[in-house]
This record gives sequence, C-alpha cells and structure tokens, in this order.
Amino acid sequence: MRNGGHGRFPLAALALGLMFIAPLLRASDDDCLACHSDRQLKSAQGRALFVDQERFKTSIHGQAGIGCVDCHADLMKVKDFPHAEKLKPVACVSCHDAEETEIKASIHGKPQEGPNPIIVFCKDCHGTHDIRGKEDSESSVYSLNLPDTCESCHLQRVRTQRGSELIRQYNLSVHFRALEKAGLSLSATCVTCHGGHGVRAVKDSESRVSRKNIIRTCGRCHVGIEKNYLDGVHGKDYIKGSADVPVCIDCHSEHDIVSPENLGSRVYGTRVAAVCSRCHDDERLARQYGFLTSRLKSYSASYHGTASKFGEIRVANCASCHGFHDIRVSSDPKSSINPTNMSKTCGKCHLGASSNFAKGKVHVISEKTESRGSYVAKVIYMSIIGGMVSIFLIFIAADLYRRKRKRRSP
Amino acid sequence: MNETGLIRDDEVFLRMNLVERIQHFLLIFSMGTLMLTGLPLIFTELKIFKSIFAFEKAFYFRGILHRVAAVVLIVNIVWHVLTTVFTKRGRSNFKELLPKVRDVKDAWNLFWHNVGLTRFLYKKGVGKAFFDKHPALLFEKEPEFGRYNFIEKFEYWAVAWGSFVMILSGFFMWKVELSLKLFPLWVHDIFVIVHGYEAMLAFLAVIIWHMYNVHLNPEVFPMSKIWLNGKITGHELRTLHPLEYRKIGEGRKRRLEEANAAQPK
Repeated sequence: MRNGGHGRFPLAALALGLMFIAPLLRASDDDCLACHSDRQLKSAQGRALFVDQERFKTSIHGQAGIGCVDCHADLMKVKDFPHAEKLKPVACVSCHDAEETEIKASIHGKPQEGPNPIIVFCKDCHGTHDIRGKEDSESSVYSLNLPDTCESCHLQRVRTQRGSELIRQYNLSVHFRALEKAGLSLSATCVTCHGGHGVRAVKDSESRVSRKNIIRTCGRCHVGIEKNYLDGVHGKDYIKGSADVPVCIDCHSEHDIVSPENLGSRVYGTRVAAVCSRCHDDERLARQYGFLTSRLKSYSASYHGTASKFGEIRVANCASCHGFHDIRVSSDPKSSINPTNMSKTCGKCHLGASSNFAKGKVHVISEKTESRGSYVAKVIYMSIIGGMVSIFLIFIAADLYRRKRKRRSP
Repeated sequence: MNETGLIRDDEVFLRMNLVERIQHFLLIFSMGTLMLTGLPLIFTELKIFKSIFAFEKAFYFRGILHRVAAVVLIVNIVWHVLTTVFTKRGRSNFKELLPKVRDVKDAWNLFWHNVGLTRFLYKKGVGKAFFDKHPALLFEKEPEFGRYNFIEKFEYWAVAWGSFVMILSGFFMWKVELSLKLFPLWVHDIFVIVHGYEAMLAFLAVIIWHMYNVHLNPEVFPMSKIWLNGKITGHELRTLHPLEYRKIGEGRKRRLEEANAAQPK
C-alpha cells in the first residue's frame, strides 16, 4: 500500500509542492528510456537492461504515475547519463512499510539456514517493472498464476524439510484442479492457506497451517464444515486444546487433498477405516479417552468391512454410520448412532430399516464377554468342523492302511 | 443265497438315471459357484481370490453370481424333492437312503476292520479267551452294504441339512431389512456366522470326504464314472453293494421260478 500522505496539512502541501517542482529537478522517464528502451542494452555482466515501456505503463505503478526514479531513488538527482552501473536495490519499504513488517516476521524475511542462504526479495514474487495488482489476471500473484510463482522456487532452488515431492503433490489436489481445470479463481492457492507476506514455517505455532490455526484457515472457505467440526466430539476437544484429536489435515492429508470420491483420497470409501483406526486402534488413546479398540478388527470381520476390502464402496464405512466432521458419542441424542437414530442411519442404505437394527452390537467381536449368541454359534461350529474333519481323516487313514496291507499280502 | 450266475460281472446296471445325473451336475455347478463367490469373504487374505476378483465392479458381480447360484441350488432342490415324492424310483431311493442303526454299526465295523487292531492282538495271543468268546470283536469280515452305504447316506443328509441351513441363513442375509424386521440384530449376526461356518464345513466335507470316496479312493481312482454315465457293472455291484446285488439276484431267481411254475410241463 502506498504510504505517501499522512493526512496532515503541512506534509500534504509539501508533497503537492514536490509534484510540481520535482519534474524540474529530477531525471524524467524519457531520460531513462532514451537508453533503456533499447532491447539490446546489456550490462557489463551481460544482464539485460531493457525496460518494456508498454508493460510498465499498464503496470500498477505505471498507472499510478510513478516514475523510474521514484523507485530507483539513487538516480533521483543524477544529471549525467549514462549513470553508474551499480545501483542500490530498490527499497519497496519506502512506500510499502506494512508489508515490509509482515515479511520481516515471516520465514521469507529471516535468514535461512544452510550453506547458501536464500534471501527472498519482493521482486522474486511480484516481478519488477511489470508489477500488477493481485486482482489483475496477468499478475504473478493472481490466484490462477500463484502456484507457478511459488513453485518456481519451491520446486527448484528451495528444499523444504519434507522435500519437493510434498510441494509437487499440490498439483494433484482438488484445489489445484479447480484452479487449473475449472478456472475457479477462488480455489485455495499456496497463499490461501500459508498466508502471503506473513508466511511462516509449518512448525511455527503462529503459522496459519499450524495445529492451532488450521481449523480456522480451512474454515475460511469451508465455513459449514468448520462449524460442524467444532460441534463434534473431535472439535470439542480441539477447542480445549487437546493435542490428540484429528484436525483437517490428519484425515484429508495436506497438499494432495482430493475429493473423497477420488480413489486416491485418504478418505475414499474403502480407505476410511484405515484413517480412523490410526487413532481408534491405539491402546494409549483408548485408555485415555475411554473408547474401545478393535474397531477396525470388528469392522473388517463384518460384511461391510469385508466388502470394503474388495473395493466395494457402496457398503458402510466408519463415516457412513458415525458421520465425519460432526462425529458425536452415541449417548448424545444428536448422534447418528444414538439408539433412537439407528433406524434412520441404517435406513440410509437399508430402506425401511426397523428399530431392530439397534438391538445388538454392531461391532461384533464374537468373544465370550461380548455378543454371546455369535460366540456360542461360532464355538459350536468350530467343534463340529474340527470333529468332522478329524473323523474324515481318521476314516481315510484307516481305509488306506488296510488297502496297503492287503496289497502286500493278498 | 448264491447268485447262481443270474448276474454277469460285466452286466451294466443304471445307478444314476439322467435326471439324477443332471441334478447332481446342477449341485456341483451351484455349490462350486457359491463357494467360489462366497469363500473369498471368509478368506479375504488369500491372493488367489483377489486375482480372480481383480476387475472393477468385481465385488458387485460376485454378489449377483452368488445369488444366481443360490437360486439354481434352490430350484434344483425343489426339483429333487418333486422327483423323490412323485416317482416310484425316487420313493424307493429315498427309502434306501433313510439312516438306520445298521449304518452306525457299519461305520464302526468298517473302521475296526480296517485298523485290524483286535486281529493283531489276537494273533499275538493277547486276550485270546476274550476274543474266542466274542469273535465279532475281531472284525474279520468287511461290513456289507446295500444300495447306499453309510458314507453315501451321510453325504446325502449332509447336503440336505447344509442346504437347509445355508438357504435359511442366506435368505435372511439377502433380505437383511426383512430379517431385522423379524429378529433383533444379534440374531441376524448368528445367521451371518452360521452361513460362514456351514460354508466352510461343506467345503471341507466335499474336498476331503467326497473327493476321497469318489476320486482318490484306490478302488475307483482316478474317478468313479457313475456321475457321468450313471452305469455300474455287476462286478462293482457285487463288491461295493453286495446286499443290493443279492436283492437283484433273488428277485430274478424268484421271477424265474414263477415263470417256471407257470410254464406247463
């Protein structure tokens, strides 16, 4: 943001005065372009020094009437051209000081570790003479162009701790596809989640994608889901500051987030059980929060779980019955697995499901202590099968034994 | 008692008529399909099933196939019951198939005859006086079977019982909404458990018991062909089903005598 006038009269008057006087004192754009409009112009090191006049005029600075020496301020008073080759770097801060403060606090503003510390300048993201507003579709920071801008460093020069593969995964995500394929400029880009000038390392608790802030960050677009999540059993503990409950990225993954209908999604129908059981089969968490483990085992043993293993997605997974963002404990009257709601929940698939759906355990383990009926049936059948097979084998053995002896001594 | 040469060893008898062979074939087809499409649900980790059901929509297709085979099995059973009730041959076979106390004795006797433990002890002079008093316990003679021996009767009734259990539990698994209108969930769970274990029992019974008796048994190896051509020879009848053999022989003898008596001299 330009920070020219402070609204106080004397300063404004001074500025106004400068506007008239300045052109008389300083070098005009025409003076600069006398040389810099030459496409062949190069520095001693061979760097191109050409300035595209047309592009500059349509840039946000050009449109605002800002001249060359406003930014290249050390040329302001120079009268002899050509000027010295070495110029001071442009200090955007002279106008954009709020952004400068943000950047100083961000990961881009801090010296990086490693043998070749990379310093990020404004121009690395915004360009130089051709800077455009973020709403301008030609801008390097326009949402549809932004991933390319970030990736030009983060896929090439910069190695994040978790490798460039993690960055590349974004290009597989539903967010990127929305940008790329659907041209949906509102879809999440790097900046939407990580922040722009204020981008911080993920491990920084002030980062927008830190555990503390991620719900808020995703919720900026997914408003309804944020609300549902905070109403659910996970969200309630999240608010209390629990470090154990899952947040968005624990189930949906991070950069390669895709639609649950997509086979590659971590919450695709047949893969949901694996995601939930990472915590729900964990003994420590089970003890601490008083839930039962073996849910994956009992689900896998059911028809739902078995069919799911064979890739059938029409059968129930964890989320089909328990819900997903607003999962509630069964004692909650609003819970989809509260006994009073079971016939409705089961009825989503089993049309006309009766209240009998609630009479018995859904997660059957067929152990002595639980699901007595199934356990007894299982034990009876195991004995019958064991007994029968033993009798078969004994009879066959006896038969073969007799035949062998007969052959030896007819 | 002598068969008096009324039955030649190479004479051919019909043991399974065409209808019975078709019913047997339909049973093989439906049971095979049911096992192939059902057992993978129990042995989910076995690679062979996963490679068979690797294509897309495979699981849906499996379910359809399983139900089609179930319907074939049911139709086959209904047909079998009808032929059993409404044909003379069916009624007579059924009578022959009824389990008797004799079958248990046959099984017992055959087993100890095969093992030959008591004969071995007798030969070694152990308990000589006891065995002299109870010569039956030596199991010298192989038990003699009628039209259906205890093995065949057992298999027949095992299929009948198994089909009943599988059709009943399977029907309620097919119509789970109906099942849960009638029963609480824990009863339905028992249907599911029973369906799985009965399937395994049937599978093992077929693989071990039936396959041994009709294929691997040295008596018939590599395979008894009765299920294909329905034929059994007089020789086989005499060795495997001596009681039936004698019955046929006596029948012929009687008819011969009646014919002789009716013939004026």
